[in-house]
Amino acid sequence: MQPLTDELKSKIIKALNLDKVTPADIKQDEPLFGTGLGLDSLDALDLVSMLERDYGILIQDMESARQVFASYGTLEDYVQRNRR
Amino acid sequence: MTAQGVAIAGSVGESSQRLDATPVVIAGSGTVTALGLGRERLEQGLLANASGLRNCPRLAGKGYQSTMGGFVPDEVWSALRGRDPAHADAPAYLLADAALREARAEVGSGGLNSAPASRRGLVLSTTKADITALEGDFHHWTSSITAQRHLFPALLAADLGAAHDIAGPVQCISTACVSGLLAIQQGALLIQEDKADLVFVVGVDLFSDFVLSGFTLLKSLDPEGCRPFDAERKGLSLGEGAGALVLARRETVASPALTVTGWGSSNDANHLTGPSRDGSGLALAMNRALQKAGTAPHDVDFVHAHGTGTSYNDAMEGMALRSVFGNRVPPYCSSKGIFGHTLGAAGLLETIVCLIATRNQLLPGTPGLRCRDPSVPDSLLDKPRAAGSLRRILKINAGFGGVNAALVLEWGGG
Amino acid sequence: MNEFAILAASFMGREGWGNDRTRLRPWPESVAGALQRGEVEALRWGTLFSSETSRFGRMDLLSRLGLMAVELLDAGIETMDAAQRNAVGVCVETRSGCTATDAQFLQTPLASAFAYTLPSTVLGEICIRHRFRGPVLCLAPVAGQGGSVEAALGWLNRGEAGACVCVACDVMDKRFAASVLSPQDVPGGGWQGCAVLIGCGTDASGGQPLQPDSLPRLARSLVASGIGAPNSVI
Repeated sequence: MQPLTDELKSKIIKALNLDKVTPADIKQDEPLFGTGLGLDSLDALDLVSMLERDYGILIQDMESARQVFASYGTLEDYVQRNRR
Repeated sequence: MTAQGVAIAGSVGESSQRLDATPVVIAGSGTVTALGLGRERLEQGLLANASGLRNCPRLAGKGYQSTMGGFVPDEVWSALRGRDPAHADAPAYLLADAALREARAEVGSGGLNSAPASRRGLVLSTTKADITALEGDFHHWTSSITAQRHLFPALLAADLGAAHDIAGPVQCISTACVSGLLAIQQGALLIQEDKADLVFVVGVDLFSDFVLSGFTLLKSLDPEGCRPFDAERKGLSLGEGAGALVLARRETVASPALTVTGWGSSNDANHLTGPSRDGSGLALAMNRALQKAGTAPHDVDFVHAHGTGTSYNDAMEGMALRSVFGNRVPPYCSSKGIFGHTLGAAGLLETIVCLIATRNQLLPGTPGLRCRDPSVPDSLLDKPRAAGSLRRILKINAGFGGVNAALVLEWGGG
Repeated sequence: MNEFAILAASFMGREGWGNDRTRLRPWPESVAGALQRGEVEALRWGTLFSSETSRFGRMDLLSRLGLMAVELLDAGIETMDAAQRNAVGVCVETRSGCTATDAQFLQTPLASAFAYTLPSTVLGEICIRHRFRGPVLCLAPVAGQGGSVEAALGWLNRGEAGACVCVACDVMDKRFAASVLSPQDVPGGGWQGCAVLIGCGTDASGGQPLQPDSLPRLARSLVASGIGAPNSVI
């Protein structure tokens, strides 16, 4: 489980150009959007692109993305289950 | 707040001489859209509530979210390239030039059109100008120097000015989707500030893979074509085209004309690509324009909305309309189901729709609309209908970067 | 009758950075070489500012320059209340336009990259950070014609804004810019970012009023020479 966590957190930081954030700063149950990491709708779209490119996961619409992106934990679960 | 600084010429005293606010009218217009070349085609389409959106086969299989758009027909491209082979690979120039020619022709050969070159101005509105040269470079083919020049909107403006005997002021506005309305505002100011007697305002943008791929990434396209203010709307449709207006002083134009009476703009200061949820930024621009025109909200006969068909924009616009008009929102429509979202050309083409509407005393419909979203004001026009008295119009647009703009137009006189 | 004056100016370019109070200073050693070579990505928010900023990392170079140019202004923006901010107009001018950002987007297509392929995004970032809601305009100056300063004066004269921030930012694309733009439109090193704040104020310089000029020339000269007496806001 650990390798995916390190890898996914690093990919998020890199994909979203989060300058001052380290993997240790991303807490498991922290919301990704609004509060917590404070990401916005453009970040959500960039994350969708990253998931497609790096994990072969296709998210068709942003409504279904909402639940996946609720927290880092839900995102990691989703990637774990759906990656190709 | 009193501070100390450095005085700048043009800021003190000089302004009082020219605060005559001479009325500026539209003396001519020209268009190229998905409906074809020329204003007449656009007028026919408006009367028939037609849609010029269609699927483009060449885009299929490339992974775009939608291949529907407002494309200028192939036969029009052939005609334009045939007429001007030197600009064959400079499509933005071809469209803008065609619209300008039609606008000049409407003004006629005498009177106005005899203004000396130094008293003729041009304002260009465009978001991406001729992006095809960059696409070419990326895909390893080389465009002509002309096309490369037109990557820079200021050079496209300069070239269009030179081709149309314009030796007066030339400006180039590139403020996302509100460029068109801001360009009209700037053109009117040139006349009011006595820097020109005749100003050509032209807006142009292309349907490019660049922009299509961008909106695909934003997931904001409707694969079946945009449905402005519809309950089931899913996104926008892109379009290409050019719209040109000729602006002149009221006293130089005979018969009823459309006067530019007010303008306003604002920033949401909220988010780059999503409008302020409450529509307050757009409402601010609208109120500024109405105030400048000295027009009360209840005197507005018709609003031509931005109405892209995205979930967010149309909801926001509905709120902005309510904020400005209370529960008496005038009849309103969107034309993006006719020719698509034409970006830098939108403000021009949609103002020309208003012009055609006043000449016919007709309220335009909203092609693409099937069933109104119940949360937007119910005065939405689905089909064209005769207007009781169409005199005062509010035209609005919004764009990326939180920008909003509004224009007030008044028909009459003569 | 209102009197308007340039109250503050800032400049960043190959040769240095500063505002009308600090005057033009050389770049810190750590970035000087890169910036002189035109590698604008070497310039970070932290190079000049210790304040917080949001999402600087995903901004394109043009937006970074525009935002930093406004941040550099020593104009008391931070003391403005909401009513004043609602009346601040913003005008952005760019000669280079977004061509460099466009090329970046073609290389690495991302939603956020696409958002920055318009000069209105520079304007948007400035308005978001400072909560400016006044009139807006982004233009590409045509050689020999006016630019943002003229537009801003118009707003002020007509009472459409209470104060204006004019910004010029340029990041020249290496493939096309040099071959098609005229030399006077290409800044040294291929990049620059500068701003002025124009608002109600009396002249402290005692000399002739400045002629509206290209914004980069105006800003550069005001930063080099300073603006009259020390600014005081009452």
